[in-house]
Amino acid sequence: MTSQAYLGQPPRLAVWFINLFTAHESAESIFGDLLEEYSYLASKSGVTFARRWYWRQAVKTIAHLFGSGYRAAPWSTTAAAVGGFLLHRFVSGLPHKLLSAVTDRYLAFWSTHFNAYLWVLKGMMPVHLIASLFVGCVIALAVKGREMVATVTLALVLCALMGSAMVGVARHLPLGVVWMLWSLADPFAIVVGGAIVRMRRSAAITLAKPA
Amino acid sequence: MPGRDYLGEFEHIVVLALMRLGDRAYGVTVRQEIEFRTKREVSIGAIYATLDRLEVKGYVRSRLGDPTPERGGRSKRFFHVTAKGAAAVTRTQRAFQSMSQGLDLGFLQSYS
Repeated sequence: MTSQAYLGQPPRLAVWFINLFTAHESAESIFGDLLEEYSYLASKSGVTFARRWYWRQAVKTIAHLFGSGYRAAPWSTTAAAVGGFLLHRFVSGLPHKLLSAVTDRYLAFWSTHFNAYLWVLKGMMPVHLIASLFVGCVIALAVKGREMVATVTLALVLCALMGSAMVGVARHLPLGVVWMLWSLADPFAIVVGGAIVRMRRSAAITLAKPA
Repeated sequence: MPGRDYLGEFEHIVVLALMRLGDRAYGVTVRQEIEFRTKREVSIGAIYATLDRLEVKGYVRSRLGDPTPERGGRSKRFFHVTAKGAAAVTRTQRAFQSMSQGLDLGFLQSYS
């Protein structure tokens, strides 16, 4: 490739997404190659065209990195996802078990303060999300270097299970869009948990590198 | 079993691109060479996923070049085909030739 006049930055969000899935040893060459082509395209065909190209590359690159990351260690990734699934089942049930225990213990109080009970019920939603976030972090900690592959695998399994459950429910009851979107919050929180651990590890590696 | 060391379709294309490019073979040039010759858009992720796999198999080797400003101070990773990789290409090409020998490919093209 010849000299580049344009030295602008590619879409930050796309860079961030690729970074989540890229192995540390390949990151330098992948980002260097993408930036080189992006700069060339931006100076030749315009920034909008180059940004669109970068996003297309990002989506395809992530799909390939996810696939190759899984194929590199299929058993440990599957084991992490299965372990995460079981942990998720255990952890996500805990807040409701705790609430039931408290409700039974102080039944007289809740019967006179029903509004407060409804608020506590609503409070279970964020607690549920925090539990999923925790599960995502645990899985990511267990599989070094493949944090996103393992958490996305579990998230896809959960989405597939929820999707099939929704199809079953939709035959008998109308499903609200908000409810359907809310049911995706758990898989999303698991992936976010994986991304948090991944980012912390990336930052630690960057700091440890000699200048 | 030596016959198992065939290259996959995309692996084959990538190794041939490395052979064509010689000393200039790194991510960008390999991607562009494949796009130019096969007329299909290839992602840099697909190139690196394949090259990493080929490197593990011992078919290619890589070395880092000097950092350059147009790459934000990042180095190029140059690849070259090893003797084992070249042998795998020959074996795969022979298998293709052997399988297509005697076939009327002009007749088959009418189906594509």
